[in-house]
Amino acid sequence: MWRFAWRNILNRPTRTFLALVGLSIPILGVVGLFSLSKGLRMLVGNTLSQVQGVIVLRNNSPSPAFSDIPADLPDQVRGVPGVKIVSPELWGIAPPIENTNLIARTLSSLGDQQKRMQSLLDTPLIAGQEPVTHGKITTSVYRKALLKPDENGGRYLDERDIGKNHVVISKKYANQFKNPDGTPKKPGDKLKIGKETFDVIGVYHTNSMILDGVLVMNLDTARRVLNRPNGLSDVYVEMTDPSKSAEVSAAIEAKFPDFDARSMSEFQTAFGDLMGQLDRILALTVSLALAVGVVGIVNTMLMSTLERMSEFGVLRTNGWSSAHVMRLVTLESAYLGVLAGILGCFLAMVGTTIANRFLTGGIQLVVTPWLILLGLGLSFVTGTLGGLYPAWKASHMAPMEAIRLGHR
Amino acid sequence: MAMIETQDVKKSYPSGEGLMEILHGVSLSIPAGHCAFIVGPSGSGKSTLLHLIGAMDQPTSGRVIIDGADLTTMSEAQKDIFRRDKIGIIFQAFNLVGNLTAIENVLVPFLPRGITPELRDRATEMLKKVGLGHRLTHRPNKMSGGEQQRVAIARALVKHPQVVLADEPTGQLDSHTGEEIFRILRNLQHESGTTLVVVTHDRRFIQPGDLVLEIEDGLLKH
Repeated sequence: MWRFAWRNILNRPTRTFLALVGLSIPILGVVGLFSLSKGLRMLVGNTLSQVQGVIVLRNNSPSPAFSDIPADLPDQVRGVPGVKIVSPELWGIAPPIENTNLIARTLSSLGDQQKRMQSLLDTPLIAGQEPVTHGKITTSVYRKALLKPDENGGRYLDERDIGKNHVVISKKYANQFKNPDGTPKKPGDKLKIGKETFDVIGVYHTNSMILDGVLVMNLDTARRVLNRPNGLSDVYVEMTDPSKSAEVSAAIEAKFPDFDARSMSEFQTAFGDLMGQLDRILALTVSLALAVGVVGIVNTMLMSTLERMSEFGVLRTNGWSSAHVMRLVTLESAYLGVLAGILGCFLAMVGTTIANRFLTGGIQLVVTPWLILLGLGLSFVTGTLGGLYPAWKASHMAPMEAIRLGHR
Repeated sequence: MAMIETQDVKKSYPSGEGLMEILHGVSLSIPAGHCAFIVGPSGSGKSTLLHLIGAMDQPTSGRVIIDGADLTTMSEAQKDIFRRDKIGIIFQAFNLVGNLTAIENVLVPFLPRGITPELRDRATEMLKKVGLGHRLTHRPNKMSGGEQQRVAIARALVKHPQVVLADEPTGQLDSHTGEEIFRILRNLQHESGTTLVVVTHDRRFIQPGDLVLEIEDGLLKH
């Protein structure tokens, strides 16, 4: 019966092809959209896992760039039991770099897909740090990510940079804002930030699109560039015992109720919740697309069964039961489902591979084996369910009634 | 003993707002192993009666008894098994499955339960008996009408049924091919001892000793 059902599918190639296209597109959507969700999770997971301390910032601030704290908060946080090092930071959106702002970069990159994606995803941030205090932190993300000396990594900020226009940039920006001779920026080269010219002293690479969008400089210099005299965004806290970060965070929040002390696991939980909501929206969208796919399969199988009523009648007169006919038709629609799943997953893999060539900065569409299995499973279930009504219609008819109907 | 017996069988079909009665109460008896012809003009109810005997349709009233089993009291599942095991059916329009080869068409009754080598051998043998040993893997659209009807005969007989029902089996064939089909049908019926019931309006194929049942306006003429 398996082979018989398979031949019935192949016997109507145009209709089969159209049904396959109809169902494979929602499957492509499932795999494509969830590969984006997975890619975002990996990107943010990769980013957060690199930051191991606790960040204290104003309540309800989505990120340090949108937070401000009083100048005396760092000293007060130092008094909380379990706190080892407190490093104040100032974050803000950078002014135009090399006289190029986001709009100018986007306009200049029109026609270049890769550059356009880059410019839309990039909003350079400035991070101001106190070199001396920050130098004591053992979990400093950017210092750890500095390129090796033979890769022109240079050095990280220290007391020599206080009061000077020195900046540590990412490898991404080193390549994006090249020297006039076309070579990437390296230590010793100049970089114009806003109206001021900076000496590049170091180049880092975290491999995270979010973390790699930061220009690190001395705190006072950052205040001047961002035009926020005495401004602070947050304090980065390192604990005496890293495993006690939750307890120390709770103690900080208890003592300073207007501020959040966020460990990265909290960020990850919050991000996980956000992604969970995104996944539910994606699932809803995809369900609608799948419903359309089911309608397509029902239509195809109904047409097919109506055309073949006479054949079903003949099968019944030869001893096939209603259940046998139902199984045959359901099998055919299940085949359609599986084929559509294979086609949809294949298209998704090809599509994500192509898309990944144009996506830079760490975000990638990730098609996992589980996602492929999900796509195939959904397609199989959708195809099978879509065939049930036509199968029921084909099977629940007296043999001669079916033959007569087929011969009309 | 009667292999086929009908008792006051009536059959109506919906027509417009009312019902049209095709059979008005047919009672007959066909002994086992006999060849019976149901004859009569078009629209007289011959095919309808045949379909009721083959459990392919349900009488409005009356009883249809085959080999002692009352079809009118059978469930749908029991009728499926009855058709599968005891009835072979041959249609005027051949009604082969276009996707299947000749041998696969012969094996259609067994497809849901799986094809064993023994069944395949049996189907091959049956096709050889109807003269199609060289056309085993041909599909219906590559065969003539006579060849297709021979495949249908092989399909009807491959399961060794107790009753073979033929509904105008030569209706779409030329005279010579029709004679050939009847020759094959009679040979196989004689060989297997099955009960053969043929619906036709062509009396040329009736032979002495055949049981002839004449229907007119839904009633059996005596």
